[in-house]
Amino acid sequence: MATHALSPAVPAYRGGLYEWLTTTDHKKIGIMYVINSFLFFLIGGVFALLVRTELATPGIQLFTNEHVYNEAFSIHATVMIFLFIIPMLAGLGNFAVPLMIGAPDMAFPRVNALSFWMLPLGGLLLLAGFLTPGGAAAAGWTSYPPLSEKLAQSSPGPGQDLWIAALILIGTSSILGGINFLVTIFKMRAPGMTLFRMPIMVWTMLVTSVLVVMATPVITSALVMLYIDRNLGGSFFLPKEGGQAVLYQNVFWFYSHPAVYVMVLPAMGMISEVLPVFSRKPLFGYKAFIFATAGIGALGFSVWAHHMFTTGAVFLPFFSLMTFLIAVPTGVKMFNWVFTMFRGQLTFSTPLIFAVGFLTMFLIGGINGAFSAAVPIDFALQDTYWVVAHLHYVLFGGSVFGMFAGLYYWFPKMTGRMLDEGLGKIHFVLMFIGFNLTFFPMHMLGIQGMPRRIADYADPSWNGWNLLATIGGFVIAISILPFLWNVFISLRNGKIAGDDPWEGNTLEWATSSPPPPYNFDRLPEIRSERPVFDARHGLVGHGGHGGRDEEEAPMALEEGHRDSQGPTA
Amino acid sequence: MSTSPRKRPASEAIVAGGVVVLLIVIVALVFLSGAGQVLYPPKPATDRAQEITQLYDIVFAIAVAIFVAVEGLIVWSVLRYRRRPEDVDLPAQTHGNNLVEVLWTAIPTVIVLFLFVISWQSLNKVDAVSADLTQTVRINAIAGQFQWQFEYLDASGKHLATQTTPLAGDSGGGMAVPVGKPVYVTLTSDDVIHAWYVPRFLFKRDVIPGQLNHFEFTVDADEAGQTFHGQCAELCGTFHNAMHFDVVAMAPADFDAWLAKLVEKANATPPPVPSGAPVLKVEAKNIAFDVKTLEVAANAPFVIDFKNDDVSSITHDIQIRQSDGTTVIQNQQAIAGGTEQNYQYSPLPPGTYTFICSIHPVPNMTGTLTVK
Amino acid sequence: MTAEAPAITAGHAAALAAAAGHARRGISNPILGMILFITSEVMFFSGLFAAYFATRANNTPWPPEVFKGILNPLSLILVATIILISSSFTCQWAVWSIRRGDRRGFIRNIGITFVLGIAFLLMQAYDYTLLFGEGMTLGSGPFGTTYFTLTGFHGAHVFGGVLMLGVILYRGMSGQFSARHHDAVEAVSLYWHFVDVVWILLFSILYLL
Repeated sequence: MATHALSPAVPAYRGGLYEWLTTTDHKKIGIMYVINSFLFFLIGGVFALLVRTELATPGIQLFTNEHVYNEAFSIHATVMIFLFIIPMLAGLGNFAVPLMIGAPDMAFPRVNALSFWMLPLGGLLLLAGFLTPGGAAAAGWTSYPPLSEKLAQSSPGPGQDLWIAALILIGTSSILGGINFLVTIFKMRAPGMTLFRMPIMVWTMLVTSVLVVMATPVITSALVMLYIDRNLGGSFFLPKEGGQAVLYQNVFWFYSHPAVYVMVLPAMGMISEVLPVFSRKPLFGYKAFIFATAGIGALGFSVWAHHMFTTGAVFLPFFSLMTFLIAVPTGVKMFNWVFTMFRGQLTFSTPLIFAVGFLTMFLIGGINGAFSAAVPIDFALQDTYWVVAHLHYVLFGGSVFGMFAGLYYWFPKMTGRMLDEGLGKIHFVLMFIGFNLTFFPMHMLGIQGMPRRIADYADPSWNGWNLLATIGGFVIAISILPFLWNVFISLRNGKIAGDDPWEGNTLEWATSSPPPPYNFDRLPEIRSERPVFDARHGLVGHGGHGGRDEEEAPMALEEGHRDSQGPTA
Repeated sequence: MSTSPRKRPASEAIVAGGVVVLLIVIVALVFLSGAGQVLYPPKPATDRAQEITQLYDIVFAIAVAIFVAVEGLIVWSVLRYRRRPEDVDLPAQTHGNNLVEVLWTAIPTVIVLFLFVISWQSLNKVDAVSADLTQTVRINAIAGQFQWQFEYLDASGKHLATQTTPLAGDSGGGMAVPVGKPVYVTLTSDDVIHAWYVPRFLFKRDVIPGQLNHFEFTVDADEAGQTFHGQCAELCGTFHNAMHFDVVAMAPADFDAWLAKLVEKANATPPPVPSGAPVLKVEAKNIAFDVKTLEVAANAPFVIDFKNDDVSSITHDIQIRQSDGTTVIQNQQAIAGGTEQNYQYSPLPPGTYTFICSIHPVPNMTGTLTVK
Repeated sequence: MTAEAPAITAGHAAALAAAAGHARRGISNPILGMILFITSEVMFFSGLFAAYFATRANNTPWPPEVFKGILNPLSLILVATIILISSSFTCQWAVWSIRRGDRRGFIRNIGITFVLGIAFLLMQAYDYTLLFGEGMTLGSGPFGTTYFTLTGFHGAHVFGGVLMLGVILYRGMSGQFSARHHDAVEAVSLYWHFVDVVWILLFSILYLL
């Protein structure tokens, strides 16, 4: 189905730096989110490599000032969480959601731009800590007091304050984005798109945005209280002055647990788009999926203290039960994905390969998390490399692989060009191998007793696993190169994508690649969650007002060939 | 709209099925060969560790079963349902199946509830504490940046003696415990959050300033004579990675003797300062020495009157090293915050040396000792 | 393709118009946005309140002896409370005025609300100086820390609200609002009510409980 752009053709993206700096177009903003977030992915990755280099062999080799090692892993995690994965997924959502619901833009385009620009600023604030005398924040990305307080033996330098300021700024950006998504999704859907005809990507962004709006302000309050303790004589968390150290942990994790769903749900949404398209079947159990997602969002608010099982200050049975229960909706989603592929016709383009990678890695991450849900086992595993393995399997094996599925899937829509499939596969294979090489040994290290956040270790039986993990880390780093090269050459010379290179299901494939600034010339009729699929197979009219669509015969079912121009009359 | 599912070649199913079976076989072999041992916890050394290991075994078995089942399905689907060039028609457009949705909601719910119940039962055993503490050996573990101290208490909780050498060795260091008797540990810290973690006990508990945590364990009788490594497991600052300790399990009679010696040492009057020996004064506060240079005469013993003004959980010492800062020449027993001690040093040949706190080897706790 | 252009342009224009004017029925986008923003602010205060209750439970006596009776509900702060509650009434009258198209009534009521809001802030600031004088500050233990954090952030939100009231007062005076178009007024009034409700909670919890 070809779309007819205005004549004279409106250029999809007017170039010019000024245009990009002042844009309020969600597509451009989304792309800037992606670029900025990817930059921070690389920065966070460099810190990870530094950490892994130190841990490759016993003894202190790199970080002769061990305080700097603490800075390295603290900033690694902070960057990856707040400057990479959360905004990256928000950015992809920013690009995709208005298109997928047939809207011309987000509800509040200027707030959208503001949300974006707070991010590079927040990143600069955070990294500026390295330029201060005491160095950057070094109390872990969790920054528990009293270690994060301004005492002589804790975190006396301004690095921790910069960390607080950066996170407040980034959190505000996130909240504004969440509000924007919710109003857009509730108020700006095209006619015919009821809530239960929305793509799953939009549903996951909806639930994610609810979590963002409700949970992020709570960490703002924790950060504000920590700042008051540090700089204004406060005593929220200082035990010697009547405060409680564990209070911070409760307030902090009340946000930070829902945050992990903020970090994974959009990626789940992406693979929920990719799997049906590349299996040529609808998502299995669309409604069940939505309820499962909503269930995860709701339950996600009830499990926070499972990060605190070893504090001795938690009502253990409740949080253990809720943590076990949240595995159920997650499992429902897993089965729905697998049964989407089951009896389908799979085309192994790069997006699908990353989606399948997601399934396997997230499965492992979910399973090893169940061990920690059993409280006595958590007594052994908490604060060891087992937790590092778990979190990376779900956040990297899960979210990052899902993010790459989304990137490869939507790159043609964003840029009008196809990425090279060969390079994409090389990227996947290297990243898959490197990832598992890095993080699977951490299960062994954790269960054998290696704590996390240590610059050096003394047990020789840990040497081999650590070396393996470091090698894997560098393989991951190498795997990024084919991806970057792919983007570079495809932007200049990639195959022209056309409107619908993948035979997609959802509305973004009903317009040009890239779309015009106003997104759609016309929309097909929306009668299911797969409006473009329906239109392609003649199940609905092409919709619109006027126009020439009556002349285009519905696509015959037998036509199955696909070329980069999309099926055309 | 959709056509009837086309018949796919049987060979495809055989290949797909074969790969799945192969994967299961590989997984099984890994575990049967013992290579999979690395995924199991180390040999449990206490009654409660035993309980946790048994729980782990059950969870692990279920985990492997679930992984094999779901991953098997994924591998099967990926291999079996590739699109062939002849697949022009769409496959059956199955939207879902309410029955299977109910099944794969209900069955996992049952499984997780089972796991919850058995883990709760284990938890009650692991977290149990003796009703009558006078029947336990009572130790107060003091966690400080970056060293452990172990305060031994009598049956009524009164202080007996404090062990300031956290690592086992000839000097009788480490946290000594008797086997076969319940040991009741309380955890205190004056500075930041730490965690008491012993991998062979499969156990850790946070040490939180302002909050009194406690736990109990009984080391298995057949572990008498063994030393178990322990380490702080909650980021506590620059030298978090160096905060090691040992738990030394002893036969009850050996433990009683050990404790008696510790008490005797603690109550013993300190050796008199050799007359004529110069006494240097050094104070430590906020993880810093108050003097950076010391001078002393060569070839004569000397004394440092050392006062530790930090909080009680932070220990310091004054080690003498070669000028390179690494080779240790003379060691001293660390002292807890709020205490003072006369450190006696043997004579030194003339030269330049480094004095340093071995627990906080930072510039603020490093100085130059000139001996002439 | 180009021959179809005129028809497509017309069709496209119609489609755009339909999409633009076709915001769903019900509350407008800006008002929904404000409701969500208020939700996020409620969660922010929830974090602070949770910290307050946890801190209070952990410290007995509460108030500590040195501050016994220092938070007297029957003092200036009661006047400030009455003023703030009244301002919610005048704010709502302003909303009703503009819904009726009564521009002058709107300006009058919003003006009064604006003044009352400033009065509250001034009284709060004065009350602070009284407390400082008696030795209670952010740094005087958990009692002082929680009090000034909670009321301080509330005051900051009042200040933001006063700024917003100023903006809609100005816009109202320059005739930008009508009975049919006054989304900003509705949104700001919702925010102002929220600020008032938080104060009622704060006053009850800090002064009465």
